[in-house]
Amino acid sequence: MAEILNVQGLETQFRTREGTVHAVNGVSFSLKEGETLGIVGESGCGKSVTVMSMLRLIPSPPGKVVAGSAMYQGKDLLKATDEEIRHIRGSQISMVFQDPMTSFNPVLTIGRQVAEPLEIHSAVSRQQAYDRAAEMLAMVGIPNAKDRLNDYPHQFSGGMRQRVMIAMSLICTPQILIADEPTTALDVTIQAQIVDLVKRLRDELGMAIIWITHDLGIIAGLADRVAVMYGGFIIEHAPVKELYTNPTHPYTMGLLGSLPRLDVSGRKRLTSIEGIPPVLLEAPHFCPFAPRCKYAVDRCWNENPGDFNVGPDHTAACWVDTKTGRER
Amino acid sequence: MTSNKVLLRVENLVKHFPIKKGVLIQKQVGAVRAVDGVSFNIFEGETLGLVGESGCGKSTTGRAILQLHRPTSGSVFFGDKDLVALKGEELRHMRRKMQMIFQDPYASLNPRMTVGEIVGEPMIIHETHKGKEVQDRVEHLLKLVGLNAAFANRYPHEFSGGQRQRIGVARALALEPSLIVCDEPISALDVSVQAQVVNLLEDLQEQLGLTYLFIAHDLSMVRHISDRVAVMYLGVIAELTTRDELYNNPLHPYTQALLSAVPIPDPLAEEKRQRIILQGDVPSPINPPSGCHFRTRCPLATTICAEAKPEFREVSPGHFVACHLV
Repeated sequence: MAEILNVQGLETQFRTREGTVHAVNGVSFSLKEGETLGIVGESGCGKSVTVMSMLRLIPSPPGKVVAGSAMYQGKDLLKATDEEIRHIRGSQISMVFQDPMTSFNPVLTIGRQVAEPLEIHSAVSRQQAYDRAAEMLAMVGIPNAKDRLNDYPHQFSGGMRQRVMIAMSLICTPQILIADEPTTALDVTIQAQIVDLVKRLRDELGMAIIWITHDLGIIAGLADRVAVMYGGFIIEHAPVKELYTNPTHPYTMGLLGSLPRLDVSGRKRLTSIEGIPPVLLEAPHFCPFAPRCKYAVDRCWNENPGDFNVGPDHTAACWVDTKTGRER
Repeated sequence: MTSNKVLLRVENLVKHFPIKKGVLIQKQVGAVRAVDGVSFNIFEGETLGLVGESGCGKSTTGRAILQLHRPTSGSVFFGDKDLVALKGEELRHMRRKMQMIFQDPYASLNPRMTVGEIVGEPMIIHETHKGKEVQDRVEHLLKLVGLNAAFANRYPHEFSGGQRQRIGVARALALEPSLIVCDEPISALDVSVQAQVVNLLEDLQEQLGLTYLFIAHDLSMVRHISDRVAVMYLGVIAELTTRDELYNNPLHPYTQALLSAVPIPDPLAEEKRQRIILQGDVPSPINPPSGCHFRTRCPLATTICAEAKPEFREVSPGHFVACHLV
């Protein structure tokens, strides 16, 4: 399938009182039509900043995209004019945010907010936009959709609000949907509803999805490919089955080992990763995982590893071959 | 290890929070029925997991057991004493034996106290140690939870989330309690740090013979750490049994749906799974459904479920379920 998005060497920094925070340090990935890419990582690893940079949603100052490109339909999103990016945002590439409680305007009705992208991006009347909004709400499973257009966000529960948000992001039938931890604030049974909904909509509408999460569980059943981020880098990137059956980077291995599994019995000791995630105040001239890594060799402290091909369509950024324990 | 001696017996525990209206003359107009009659035992040396979705009353249950919320009715027997009937000095004395680890390690440590003062405070309040003894014990406790003894002079903001949670654990251990209520102790931590804290809790249990009530919403972690698991829904316990029985043979429709909703970090396992997707949201605990609280979302509900509250009964040895259809 055709490639619709190609991000190369993306770097984003924030100037703070403590110094420059190197949030994203050269991230590259691509997205094909209709494909679902999972970006996994812990808080502060740069996963949200990556997609926000791409959509030019980083507040500047303090943030700045210092290098890289994001090609979409032959155009570099990072170099596009404000006018051009506004045409793309919300219509061709749209986003669902983590917290359904704070992402709506509390003083506008749901109908107004769901219809807004369509009113802005296409030449339809307000009435037509509202009709379409009602259809979208029905599609995401809101009962009595038409009557609820005049309700305000606080009249919806968390799960329902996330459905409304999905309706809003899909009203212009975007090519790419970016979902930034859309289920983290929700309970597990509601999370299952939302994941099920997104899968159904993906099959119906055929959009590509970038799903950001810290939960390796959700991604396993949802994504086609997974990129694992740590310290502002993609440290491992592979098709979903390959990643889970054959994790190669010590961080990915540690992360999978530290997760208890619902389908495995017994009190087998979890393999924890010692130490804590990095602060990112230093320019990344060595492997960010080296301080916590049990495989680390001298080279890891002096030089940042590039991506090595370790399997079919599978790259890992590590100086050590974790299968043999030898340096690459 | 788990024994057959009951350490804590909870009988028909109820906690309703009143809803009041009026400015000067307040009238009670309703109640949030946070905990609506739960009964269970905790055996000495075991870990009882208490799981459920947000708002199901699991934290309130934990707090009502420790008398941090005084229960509306019911009893909590710790040994042969009913904590609900105790007051004042007697209750304060019992508090030594039961401690709590809180969810948010950022909010549960006083930012103006040093780590040494935080961990030492219970010993001073309960007058179990004096002067230099307190200091020595603080150092011992910090080492026990894997921190440097020299950290006693630092302040909480100098530590990461995982380290702060270790400080919270050290404080809970200060009075050598037999029961620790862990209220979502890892849910505020990063994934790679969660396992560190869970391993610590397991090690401490083995060394000190502790009993845990482990409250969490993460079913995978509860399966990992618990000996027995209780599943709560809207203020009542739906099912209670041993860990493996619950996961291999869930009988309550809610337990079945809950288990099927938990994602497994394995794409091959995920492909084969059949999900039960529950419709709708959890109803409000102010006005819970009649009869069985779960009936509004239950795919199997029949007329009897609306008419009568299902009895919480033992269907096979050690396996308790509250459902008309089992």
